[in-house]
Amino acid sequence: MSHGLKLEGVGFAYKATQVLQDINVSIPEGQFVSLLGASGSGKTTLLRLAAGLDPVDSGRLTWNGAPVVGPSLERGVVFQDYALFPWLSVVDNIEIAIAKAKPTVRKADRQAEAGKYLRDLGLEAAIGRYPGELSGGMRQRAAIARALALGSPLLLMDEPFGALDPVNRARLQDLLLEVWELATPRKTIVFVTHDVDEAIYLGDRLVVLGSSPGRVIADLQVPLERPRERHSLLDSHPLQALREQVAATLVQDTLQRLKAA
Amino acid sequence: MSDFIALVNLPVPAATVPASAAEPGLERGWLSRALESVSVWIVLLLAWWVASVYLPLGDNPLLPSPLITANALWDSLPELWAGTLSSLTILIPGFALATLLGIVSGLAVGTSARLQRIFLPFAKVAGPVPPTVYIPYAIAILPTFKLSAIFVVFIGAFWPIFQNSVAGAHALEQSYRDNARILGLTRFEYQRRVVFPAALPHIFTGMAVGLAFSFILLTVAELFGANAGLGRFVQYYADFADYPKMVAGILYTGLVTFLAMTLLDRVRRRSLFWLK
Ligand SMILES: Nc1ncnc2c1ncn2[C@@H]1O[C@H](COP(=O)(O)OP(=O)(O)OP(=O)(O)O)[C@@H](O)[C@H]1O
Ligand SMILES: [Mg+2]
Repeated sequence: MSHGLKLEGVGFAYKATQVLQDINVSIPEGQFVSLLGASGSGKTTLLRLAAGLDPVDSGRLTWNGAPVVGPSLERGVVFQDYALFPWLSVVDNIEIAIAKAKPTVRKADRQAEAGKYLRDLGLEAAIGRYPGELSGGMRQRAAIARALALGSPLLLMDEPFGALDPVNRARLQDLLLEVWELATPRKTIVFVTHDVDEAIYLGDRLVVLGSSPGRVIADLQVPLERPRERHSLLDSHPLQALREQVAATLVQDTLQRLKAA
Repeated sequence: MSDFIALVNLPVPAATVPASAAEPGLERGWLSRALESVSVWIVLLLAWWVASVYLPLGDNPLLPSPLITANALWDSLPELWAGTLSSLTILIPGFALATLLGIVSGLAVGTSARLQRIFLPFAKVAGPVPPTVYIPYAIAILPTFKLSAIFVVFIGAFWPIFQNSVAGAHALEQSYRDNARILGLTRFEYQRRVVFPAALPHIFTGMAVGLAFSFILLTVAELFGANAGLGRFVQYYADFADYPKMVAGILYTGLVTFLAMTLLDRVRRRSLFWLK
């Protein structure tokens, strides 16, 4: 079965620094993967490779069996710095994505659809405003709206909820799960986060990157039924064990790096 | 006659208009700031007036008094206005063409390593050549004076706009480029919706320099062969030693230049409202 995202012995270097080395991960279509790892371990780099923004230096990277050679509307990205175009209003930032994803839809309908995505993300008040006038959290939500508007079957999300307050964060986690669960076929999602609880609550699977060079140091299933109950999450013993294991892995990696330095 | 004094003294009454602001401290701040911004004008005007009255400058002084100058300005307004129109028929086509071609070619070169290798070595040599040196040749080659003047204005305005457009496109943030690639923008969409707006701050800098150059080149070109125009007006009355009219022409040209630069700045502010 070749559907999904597959990395086989993938390596990548920025000039002389080896950032990623021998990454082997196979993500079947429809899986929600949480990607963890210390700062600088190469999570963003991995997403850029999967998006086709940078070419792999070694190994093979395929999406649905075909090598990834460049960006495609099949693979949407929410960037860590959310990078909306500041000269376009929020709604136009979303519309430009819809215009590319659905070229035949008329402009008025595109605007309406963009408005719908923004309302879903609680941004109705920001529709006509410009990115520079918004808070970091609002910009982040607008960037998420744009990625959803692209309608890509693969979503690569780089710490998309990093700038949100806890209430909005919980709301958006549930919204993302809803979008993911309702779509047929299900979207494949790679979700980068530093928050272990968030990773467990959202993901089917946790992939942890170690640093210098970035490589997979843990790859674990999340033994939890869906739909999930947020407040019962921490009561379950297997989950507590999982959480501690991931946390310990991350601490150990950081200690090792400090020792090496 | 009192009209002319008011004309020349314009900043003074503006500064003494009482502000209706409620807070006295604020009002004083506003007033003193307004005074500061016109102080140089007041001092210069006073110095001019004192010099013209008390210095022994003879019957036809090179420095006519402010009143005489204002009078000459008033008398020359129709002629100056006709000169302005004549000058604008050179300035506007030259500057507009330079803006259009400067931006289009600048953005194209700025986003293509290959075009940079082809054109930048040439631009490095051709750009700094003072465009005034082309004037006699342009007049000799092109069929009318107007065309040659437009050409010279074009050359002078083109290079700063081109160079700043190249720099603006070159400085495009990686994140915008990545975004455009993710969205699958075509090359033209990318230029129009991403590179152009992102480079606009640079482009306006180039346009401001280009516009200032345009005025310089316009007035210089008019010294060579025009039969109307702002630069020609000043030269003409200087030849006849009519210094009040000459000084009036200088002041008037300064005002027109200032207005044009102000207009461009307005457009810049409007276009770059999104800039933080
Ligand atoms: N453009 C670049 N040029 C050179 N080195 C880079 C570049 N981008 C990233 N790196 C290096 O690659 C390594 C991985 O960076 P990356 O951004 O992928 O980390 P990350 O896991 O996303 O970190 P964070 O959690 O802080 O976002 C780092 O050591 C970083 O210094
Ligand atoms: Mg990162």
